[in-house]
Amino acid sequence: MKTQLTITHHLIAESSYTMSDGMGAVVVFHGVVRSTEDGDPIRAIEYEANEAMTRRQFELIFEAIEKQWPVESIRLIHRTGEVAVNEASLRVEVIAPHRAEAFAACQFLIDEMKAKVPIWKRPVSLT
Amino acid sequence: MKVTVKFWSYFCDLTECDETSLEINEGATLGELHAAVMKKFPKLGEMKNSTLKAVGVHYQTDDFVLSEGDEVSLFPPVQGG
Repeated sequence: MKTQLTITHHLIAESSYTMSDGMGAVVVFHGVVRSTEDGDPIRAIEYEANEAMTRRQFELIFEAIEKQWPVESIRLIHRTGEVAVNEASLRVEVIAPHRAEAFAACQFLIDEMKAKVPIWKRPVSLT
Repeated sequence: MKVTVKFWSYFCDLTECDETSLEINEGATLGELHAAVMKKFPKLGEMKNSTLKAVGVHYQTDDFVLSEGDEVSLFPPVQGG
């Protein structure tokens, strides 16, 4: 399984993908910053990552996915620093032969990330 | 022996620093270190039950035996995505 992990301060502009013959499903998920946090309007969210540990924890998640589903590739981008409302903080791309395993792997990846990957957020208020 | 403890997210606010060093006994566990850190930074005690602990890049439990030079991270529940 091919994997690509990017932790970046830059805007997520990725849109293309490549796959080999026999692949029939590409699931792409974007996590986007909402305009409110706990009911209060915000301008952005500031993301902080323990980057070395983040990379290792994502590797462990990728390894777990490879054992469970016939996924060809995963590409993941997570932003750090300030991410404005309506911008994507996360992009996950999973390519697999069929939709069932692509959706399942993507859901698993995000659930595991939210439990284990050391990234934190801090809302940035409008003022 | 000496270990480094790094704080992340709002734990830095509670401790007013992003890392500290502590001298601990040979064979001390991560749980014992956590207790020592909470004694040094009492505000972390409020987060005792939800604190996540790692040594290097791996999560560890309270019975993990520390070694000289270990880098420990203490942080609140994660919030990626």
